[in-house]
Amino acid sequence: MAAEMRFAKTHEWIRPEAGGLATVGVSAYAVEALTDLVFMQLPAVGRRVKAGESFGEIESVKAVSDLYAPVSGEIVEVNAALPNALETLGKDPYEAGWIIRIRPDDPAEMGNLLERSAYDAMIRSQPH
Amino acid sequence: MAVDSRLAEQAVDRGTLLLRIYGWQSSALSLGAFQSLAEAEASTAVGGLPLVRRPSGGGAIVHGTDLTYAAAVPRTHPWGATPQLLYDALHGAMVEVLRERGLDCRLWRPQGGPAADPAEAALLCFDRRSSGDVVIDRPDADRRGQKLMGSAQRRLQAAVLQHGSLLLRRNPDLTAGCHPGLADLAGSPDGLPEPEIVDRWLATVAARLGAVVNLEPVRDPQMLLEAGEDWIERFRDPRWTGRR
Repeated sequence: MAAEMRFAKTHEWIRPEAGGLATVGVSAYAVEALTDLVFMQLPAVGRRVKAGESFGEIESVKAVSDLYAPVSGEIVEVNAALPNALETLGKDPYEAGWIIRIRPDDPAEMGNLLERSAYDAMIRSQPH
Repeated sequence: MAVDSRLAEQAVDRGTLLLRIYGWQSSALSLGAFQSLAEAEASTAVGGLPLVRRPSGGGAIVHGTDLTYAAAVPRTHPWGATPQLLYDALHGAMVEVLRERGLDCRLWRPQGGPAADPAEAALLCFDRRSSGDVVIDRPDADRRGQKLMGSAQRRLQAAVLQHGSLLLRRNPDLTAGCHPGLADLAGSPDGLPEPEIVDRWLATVAARLGAVVNLEPVRDPQMLLEAGEDWIERFRDPRWTGRR
């Protein structure tokens, strides 16, 4: 996991990429807690989202979770193969299991998110 | 559904578990958030029933002879961190209550495999089994046990909204896909009075939290006003009901 990766309290991660883009996915902890995934709805490319706005949904056996944009920006790419290969989210949540690529309006907004150590501390403090 | 969505917002504002228990004016079907409307409408068992789509996941539930509830907790609540915590807390409390009344029920757990039964894709919630469902073993039921209570969640940014159903008796409006409820299993329609079950369930849930039950009158119109047009329009919009 790259050191510059940041996390939202709602368990999405974001990683800066070349060209002013950033990749977004959901954490291994969140995927494991949801258990068996059955369906995923991705956003349209070109859609603009605000930080904290739902950009998609993921359904497990008994729960639907909204996916929240960690930063504001334009969605420039989606992992279109993912809904037909949901097991990828569990096997490789930080690489092959990426969900969207976004062009952040303000890259500094990532500074509002949790560093990995703080995110790890947050999930350690939660009951299991 | 708009009132339940408002309930989730209130749970965050108040920082506590809120439970809303309600009934239905007639038999009706509630679809899970991602279920196919066409499949439900084509079903010979439930196709003609009035229908609503829940924001929560899971399978379709036939209402009318069940105890329906919506529960909401902030995601920071001790039962809000993972889906299983809230299922097990509310379902485990119901198991306690039903066992007190002589029904030998339990929480269903998968035997080594995935968290759900392979029959998970069934249209109706009560034909499915997933970890934490309340079931009772009966000689004439299949090996998975007879399901009595099931629930499903919507995990929002700051709250978890859980819908659930306890089957009280067979629904006479169904000719197929009908499941026995508590009264059928107890052998007496009066054997398990609903108000008593509700009272004991709420008390048991509260005891598990080290809290007390605070009963408040239901004011759906008031909550609808508070929910605002956004929630009302979302669930009234045919695009929501027909989204899949």
